[in-house]
Amino acid sequence: MRAGLLGLFFMLCCASLLIGAQQMAWSQVWSLSGDAWLTLTASRLPRLAALVLTGVGLSVCGVILQHIVRNKFVEPATSGGLDAAKLGILVALTVAPGTGTAGRMLFALAFCFAASLIFVAIVRRIRFKNTILVPVIGLMYGGVLSAVAEFYAYRHNVLQSMQGWLLGDFSKIVQGNYEIVYLILPIVALAYLYAHRFTVLGMGEGMATSLGLNYPATVALGLMLVAVTVSVTVITVGAIPFIGLVIPNLVALHYGDNLGRTLPVVALGGASLLLACDILGRLLIYPFEVPIGLTAGGIGGVLFLVLIFWRNR
Amino acid sequence: MRMPIPKISRHAIWAVVIALALTFLCFRSGLDFDYVIPKRLARLLAMLIGGVCVAWSSITFQTITGNRILTPAIMGYEAVYLLLQSLLVLIMGTQSLVMLGANGNFALSVLLMLGYSWAIHRWLFRDGRNNVYFLLLLGLVLTMVIGTFTQFVQFKVSPGEFSVLLGFSQASFGKAEPGQLVVSAILVAVVCITALKTLPTLDVLALGRDQAVSLGVDYQRTVRLYLALIAVLVAVSTSLLGPTAFMGIFVANTTYALARTFRHRITLPTGCAIAIAIFILAQLAVEHVFNYRTTVGILVNLVCGAWFLALMVRTRGTA
Repeated sequence: MRAGLLGLFFMLCCASLLIGAQQMAWSQVWSLSGDAWLTLTASRLPRLAALVLTGVGLSVCGVILQHIVRNKFVEPATSGGLDAAKLGILVALTVAPGTGTAGRMLFALAFCFAASLIFVAIVRRIRFKNTILVPVIGLMYGGVLSAVAEFYAYRHNVLQSMQGWLLGDFSKIVQGNYEIVYLILPIVALAYLYAHRFTVLGMGEGMATSLGLNYPATVALGLMLVAVTVSVTVITVGAIPFIGLVIPNLVALHYGDNLGRTLPVVALGGASLLLACDILGRLLIYPFEVPIGLTAGGIGGVLFLVLIFWRNR
Repeated sequence: MRMPIPKISRHAIWAVVIALALTFLCFRSGLDFDYVIPKRLARLLAMLIGGVCVAWSSITFQTITGNRILTPAIMGYEAVYLLLQSLLVLIMGTQSLVMLGANGNFALSVLLMLGYSWAIHRWLFRDGRNNVYFLLLLGLVLTMVIGTFTQFVQFKVSPGEFSVLLGFSQASFGKAEPGQLVVSAILVAVVCITALKTLPTLDVLALGRDQAVSLGVDYQRTVRLYLALIAVLVAVSTSLLGPTAFMGIFVANTTYALARTFRHRITLPTGCAIAIAIFILAQLAVEHVFNYRTTVGILVNLVCGAWFLALMVRTRGTA
């Protein structure tokens, strides 16, 4: 099963390298110069790296968030994280227009982290009878945050461009403007290092504390990892829904909730799903492409529905 | 059972609404009866209709589902409406507005929502058990998928077309035309009269499915009727004002808190009054405080959503 997943992942990587609007003469690549080499290194490889890292980051951050909130239907899109990052970027654009990517990233990070902390506090305070109501509260919370953002954007007349950079899209990824995405690598490494603690976190506060875990510190660390991943992905590619929702649920169905063992599968699954969505988006109206936010939303949404149906049986 | 609030304070709510309405009509109007006041009357009528729709549909929907946090907006009704508008603008451009006219678009929206409502009903009672949470999840996923798609369309169209689409996706009272207002008013009146006749049945439904059935209510038929009525109300309010998202939850829960009873004879009118008051307040704020630099929808979402979250956290509410 795992070997199969690995094989699938490599196949998807190769397919992703082979597809593109610019026809490539592969025989020329070996000369390490010329047009083909330039296309490969300036566009195809960066895109592949961004895709894989984003997929890994999103699914890992979904799984961490689900362990913290102890709810299988939570991901940054259903907990206000994405909306907070959007608001952060907007504030950065209007308050400090000259700061560039790093400044926007910092603002998005701060907003997303604060919003996630508040969301966790809200969820812990309200006692829920039904697990599905947690994402409802999350969506509502996100709605409030996004109303603040819209209030702001409407006044500055940037509503349409805000919609634009929020929709996940990998077509703008070329050498020189995507490198920030490599920040996801240390995040994933940290997540793997602390995987056992997140597993214990998922057993609830009482259990985690009696097992000797520093509960608040671990929650804060987890939320920080999530906030960094979300802000990095929103800045480089935009919002991509469902990846953090579908993959952790599918993996948990097969392998259970021991993060130390399942995290690699989650990461591989996330990257593969995102690659598949991207390839589909590039082939649908070739040589143009459908933004990945749309294909991921569609495929992820359908997968998620199938998952719910299946579980409901 | 706790005592319902005395009649006087219920009347006080309506007195506040009337005072707000008069303020809205006359404030800084120069008492210009030729232009300013008729225009404002049209907007006031839109608010009245919208308020009744939002309050009525949310409260009945919550009664049917036996849940105080569900509203039609969350269940995907508004997403369906937005999808329709985006598709129309994407496929036919702004010409679709000319071709269909306000009433054509309106009729199409109502039909679509009735269809969605029918599908919801099929799902709700497919296995003879109440699948409401499953359905809620379905609504959420649908809202997210459609939201992504709408975003894509909004990104694709030209700025001119976007501003047209923005008119649909932001709640506002300025866009309602007199003809549409009359049609909406008639529809809402018909729905309300139909519902008023069966108010006691609705009270019984609030006891839950088993109780209602054992008290002799034809559960399936009644629920089907109410879902259809709700679909009409939601269609009217979304096509008249645009999406109101969390307004319904807020209105319904404030109503329960104020009315301190669940009898629909009391909660429904109180809810309507609250919704209308909120709409008038928001519109006053947009016109005179923010000078049209924001929209009613944004304000309502901001204030109602924040307040509701605060309420849930402060009272440690069990959802």
